[in-house]
Amino acid sequence: MLILVTGGSASGKSAHAERILCERAPVSRLYLATMQPFGATAEKRIARHRVLRQGKGFQTVERPLDLAGLKLDRRYDGILLEDLGNLLANELFAPEGAKDAAFGSILAGIERLQDCCETLVVVTNEIFSDGLPYPAEAVRYIHLLGRLNAALCARADAVYESVCGILLPIKEEETR
Amino acid sequence: MTVLLVGGAYQGKAALAKRLYPALPLVQNLHARVRDELAAGRDPMALLEALRGHVITCDEVGCGVVPLARADEDYREAVGHLCCALAEEADAVVRVVAGVPQWIKGKKPCM
Repeated sequence: MLILVTGGSASGKSAHAERILCERAPVSRLYLATMQPFGATAEKRIARHRVLRQGKGFQTVERPLDLAGLKLDRRYDGILLEDLGNLLANELFAPEGAKDAAFGSILAGIERLQDCCETLVVVTNEIFSDGLPYPAEAVRYIHLLGRLNAALCARADAVYESVCGILLPIKEEETR
Repeated sequence: MTVLLVGGAYQGKAALAKRLYPALPLVQNLHARVRDELAAGRDPMALLEALRGHVITCDEVGCGVVPLARADEDYREAVGHLCCALAEEADAVVRVVAGVPQWIKGKKPCM
C-alpha cells in the first residue's frame, strides 16, 4: 500500500501523514527523515516534527540520500518517508548525491521501501505555483519533483492534499 | 460564525466573501497582515482571537519553492500555521479556484 500526502509549506501535511500511518500500521513504525539539519529553520522544523511523533512508537532513521541502498534488518507495518522535496534536493545538489540519476534512484528507493513494509506513506511538496523565474538548476529541481509526484501518484493507492490542515482526496483508495 | 476563504492570488476570494457571507465583517488579505505583524516583531498567531466572527480571505502562499531569504520563508510558514489554526476553529473553509468556491469544511450557506 502506497499513500502520498502533498501540500504547501505549513499546510498540516506531516500531521495527516503521521495519523494515516498510525491508523494503518498497528505496531512497528519507521520514520525515515530526509532533511539534513543545516540551519536554524531546519533545526526548528525537525524539533517540531519530533514533538509531533512523540509517544507514537516511531523508530527514526535519518536517510538524506540513497533510499535504495538502505539496509533494514526487519519488516515494518508502516514506513513514513518525509519528505520527497528534501530527498530530491539532496540527491541533486549534495556532493555524494545521485545527480543525473536522481529520478530513477528515488523511484527505485521507494520501490525498495514498499518491499519492506505493509504501508508506505510518502510526504511530498506542492512547490509549483509561485510563478517566479528561477535559475536553470532550480527549474530542473521543480520539474523533477513534479515528475516524481506524477509517477508516484500513478502508482499510489491513495493521494491526498492538505490545505489549511484539511485533507482533500486527490486520488481515492478503491474499496474492496 | 467564522469563515476562511483561501486560494491563490486574484481568484475572486473577496468578491465571493461579500456575496456568500454579507452579514459577516470582512478581513481581506490575511497574508499581508501576517507580514506586517512579523515586520513589527509580533507573533501573527496572536491575530487568531480577533479574527473570530469574521469572514477572512487569505492567499495560499505556501505552494511555491522555499524562498532563499529567511524572512520570506518565516512569512510563508507563519501564514500556513495561522491558516491551519484558523481553519480548525472556523465553521466553514472555502477554497477558491478561478472564482469557484469549494467548501472544504462546513456547508454552503442557504441564500
